[in-house]
Amino acid sequence: MAEQPLTRRNFLKGKTKPRPELDRLNPEWPTQRVAKLYRKFLEKQPPFYHPPISEEVAPPLTVTASLNSMRDVDWDQSAAVHLLGRTMFGSTYTDINNSTSDSLSNTVNTLLQELETAEPPGDWVNEPPPAWDQLTYDEVQAVMEQYRERMWQMANWWIVRMTQNPINITEQMSLFWHNFFATAQSKVFYPQAMYEQNAVFRQYGLGNFKELLRRVIFGPAMMIWLDIHRSKKHNPNENFSRELMELFTLGVDNYTQVDIEEASRAFTGYVTNGVETNYDYENQTGSWFWWDEWHDFEDKTVLGQTGPWTGDDIINILLEQEECAVHICRRIYKWFVYDYIHEPVVEAMAFVLRENDYELRPALEFLFNTEHFYDSNFRGANIQSPMSLLPGLVRKFGMEEFTYPEGFFLRSVEFLGMTPLEPPDVNGWTGYRSWINSITLPVRKLVNSALVTGFSPFGNFDFMVDVRSMAQTMYDSDDDGYASEQIVRKLALVLFGVPLSDILETKMLDILLDGAEPYDWSINAPIGDAQWNRMKDLLLYMIKLPEIQLS
Amino acid sequence: MKRRDFIKTSMVLSAFGKQLPLMAVGRNRRQLGRTSQWETDRVVILIKLNGGNDGLNTIIPIEDDIYYEARPTLAISPGQSLSVNDTTGFHPSLGPIYPFYQNGQVGIIQGVGYQQGNLSHFRSSDIWVTGSDANEHLLTGWLGRLFENEYPDFPDGVPEHPLAIQFNSANLLEFRTSESNVGMMVFDPETMYAIISGNYVPGEDDPAPESYGGDELAYIREIDTLSMEYSEVIYDSALAGINTMEYPDNNIGYQMALTSKLISGGLGTPVYRLYQPGYDTHANQANNHANLLQDVSGSIAAFLQDMANQDLQDRVMVVTTSEFGRRVYENGSFGTDHGTSAPCLFFGSNIVPDIFGNHPDLTNLNNNNNMQVQYDFRQIYSTLITDWFGLAESVAQNVFAQSFDSIPFVQEPLSVKPPVLPAHFKVHAAFPNPFNPTTVIGYTLPAAGNVNIRIVDSRGRLIQNNHLGPISKGHHTFRIEGKTWASGTYFAQVETGGTALTQKITLVK
Repeated sequence: MAEQPLTRRNFLKGKTKPRPELDRLNPEWPTQRVAKLYRKFLEKQPPFYHPPISEEVAPPLTVTASLNSMRDVDWDQSAAVHLLGRTMFGSTYTDINNSTSDSLSNTVNTLLQELETAEPPGDWVNEPPPAWDQLTYDEVQAVMEQYRERMWQMANWWIVRMTQNPINITEQMSLFWHNFFATAQSKVFYPQAMYEQNAVFRQYGLGNFKELLRRVIFGPAMMIWLDIHRSKKHNPNENFSRELMELFTLGVDNYTQVDIEEASRAFTGYVTNGVETNYDYENQTGSWFWWDEWHDFEDKTVLGQTGPWTGDDIINILLEQEECAVHICRRIYKWFVYDYIHEPVVEAMAFVLRENDYELRPALEFLFNTEHFYDSNFRGANIQSPMSLLPGLVRKFGMEEFTYPEGFFLRSVEFLGMTPLEPPDVNGWTGYRSWINSITLPVRKLVNSALVTGFSPFGNFDFMVDVRSMAQTMYDSDDDGYASEQIVRKLALVLFGVPLSDILETKMLDILLDGAEPYDWSINAPIGDAQWNRMKDLLLYMIKLPEIQLS
Repeated sequence: MKRRDFIKTSMVLSAFGKQLPLMAVGRNRRQLGRTSQWETDRVVILIKLNGGNDGLNTIIPIEDDIYYEARPTLAISPGQSLSVNDTTGFHPSLGPIYPFYQNGQVGIIQGVGYQQGNLSHFRSSDIWVTGSDANEHLLTGWLGRLFENEYPDFPDGVPEHPLAIQFNSANLLEFRTSESNVGMMVFDPETMYAIISGNYVPGEDDPAPESYGGDELAYIREIDTLSMEYSEVIYDSALAGINTMEYPDNNIGYQMALTSKLISGGLGTPVYRLYQPGYDTHANQANNHANLLQDVSGSIAAFLQDMANQDLQDRVMVVTTSEFGRRVYENGSFGTDHGTSAPCLFFGSNIVPDIFGNHPDLTNLNNNNNMQVQYDFRQIYSTLITDWFGLAESVAQNVFAQSFDSIPFVQEPLSVKPPVLPAHFKVHAAFPNPFNPTTVIGYTLPAAGNVNIRIVDSRGRLIQNNHLGPISKGHHTFRIEGKTWASGTYFAQVETGGTALTQKITLVK
């Protein structure tokens, strides 16, 4: 195979991509005039790449259904890799070691601890909307540019938080809820609204689901995204109630078309200007002119209950349904365990969720302690999402303190089909096997290689992984084997989701030693010694193997 | 950060790709001859109009007063529409294909859908791509099962060319087999080849662990190897192929142009799945829908002409599909909501250019006020299998686990050949798989002989041993009954004349 010149079209080219973000714009948001300008503005931007949709399910194997807490003797390095790999971004060898010297239940508690509120990405997060009517054409253009900058600033801020996360689930939960309540910035338009929603995920994402649901639904972002905003009694918008039941609470087939139509009448009279809403969280009611004029105060019948329901009443009715907790736990299970659902485990978890009045923490704690969660079948069964793999590697390589070229993270994850703040649709990302195809797999390798080579299609950098420090955090004179043998084993433990086979271990050791004997490779070799280049070769080799895609 | 810089990085990407050392590729994969009955060089190009195309505003019932009452702002007047016959008009944006209609290269199948139409995009799309009934959840795609039936050893017996090509955002499930995926995702062949070959390291021959993690590893390894093999043949075809027409400068235009180039360049892939999003027109439908139809019809017209210029027209057929149609009545946002059935359009020189079925009867709606289904979508797929590709009716039956009446829209149906017996002993993948509680496994004997079928669980314990005695030469099936077994993986081992072949089957309770 000869090397081929690259001269013609490439697959970054905008016209090769579908553009759902244009198709779903609201022609009146934030005003008719700005909406027209905004559409033109967006059309000039390159489109987003979204991965294909699939619902692929692997066949079941025999898995322990045991819901007992895992015994402490089984809490080993491999179990810690599994737990940390699913709940945080990029656990290092040190994290794994510290967690195993602690107990499972303490590690789970650490993961589920509440973190301090995050510093927002800018002081613009509460900025009121401009008076659009008074802005000239050029001023409108300038604001749109600025909003766009802020959206990307915030997305980057989020990814950097992931690369720097401690042993804690908060960032993972905020990504989980972003996928659950999938809302796209291109339609919402106001970065303030997107930030508000993200802050809700962070603040309520480990708390009570009912509170979280209310905060999300009546937040400006969701109101705009699913057109709750300005839905009126004579012409209510069905779409939101459908998604509320299908995706946010009950799951498909647990309601009727009539329930949707009736519930949509309750979600009328709620409005937002993009930053504030006419909804009062304390008193659970809308207000102002729009509420009085547009809300439907007549009786509605939803799931057999009749009354002059408001949006809050509908939420209460939906949360009374047994299916609701099951639906939420299914989504949690799919995200944290495996795409193929073991119903009895989900049912048990749903029971915990209901018993705790929708408090999320006890349900997660329950799951992460079960023997089921640690079944050897699930080790490495998670195909990492783009936003998990790259930020995770950065942290595993100890490279989280560097300042990366502008856009390195965002362009990479976007290319791989996961643009933060821009999910393909309200169903979120399909995930699982849809992440991997003949386009994304080679580009994943290319992007990850940048951490070792310093070259990336999305910007080069003048720093790279410090393999010597990395090796020294891994080596322990009390452990079995020469330093070279330990490094191979421990790198595989940290980087690969699946156990290391003997064949691969030999191959990796060959690359690391490059003809030398295992004892020739010294953990104390000076900086700049050629042996460290062999370790870079090894990392590059591992990055190009399928094993690294799994966690 | 300026997002337009994103485009500039492509140059960096190219340059970087060149610097990467090309690793030697271990070609330890078998290039088996085709074992399939697949003998035709015909190609079908399926276009998904994603989001639910509004059938009533595509094929206009220009004589139907109810249509005009139901759509005060959206209806297309008879004068605006392109005349098809006394009662039918095309949406004016179908202008580019109108001359092809007049030449007998466009046909319509009215009222396509399925019973108990589901109004969720996701679920309804899944029903279309798996070819299931409304209340049935299948884990494999109809095309996946078709190819699995024809190439039972896939991915071991890798055909030289990809079996199916999907463009970005096509639904992967459509090509999913019980163990694999036969669809190859394609973007730009040249860049794709450079990047894939530059980042490929041959894996070691260590078996993946027996676990879900191992399943996922095997899946990624397979994509890794197949991408490497197929990117080369796709790139060669794209280099060899030509476009003789200018295609519309939009996404679907690009997909059609590349499809044409690959066919022209000699790629032997029989199925292409293209994808055009945006048909979920809940609001402000008029302009959006017109633009979408303009884009897709312009692309199809260019493609048909391109194929004719290269004398390839008799080999290709284009068919549009969509997960559902839309409601009869427009909503308050100048749009239409999710409905059920809608027309499918088909194009080519080797078709019967008729209108099959009638305009939907708007006085006779179903109990959700949606239009009645006239044709099950699987009738179209089934006809493609039998009449277009010339495979036996039993193949279509295997794919859908029931038989569907064909629709005579293929002008020259390929004669159905009786299945030719392969020269070797073969055991075919079980269907359905996963199963509950019964499945059927097929096997083919090169000569008459005694047959034993053993069922072994994942730990190697013998569950059943069936001595079938002497069995005649040819194809046979055996029914496996798992009612009393636990959920899990089992192996069905068929043994004759000292040779045993095994298929994995999975019981899901």
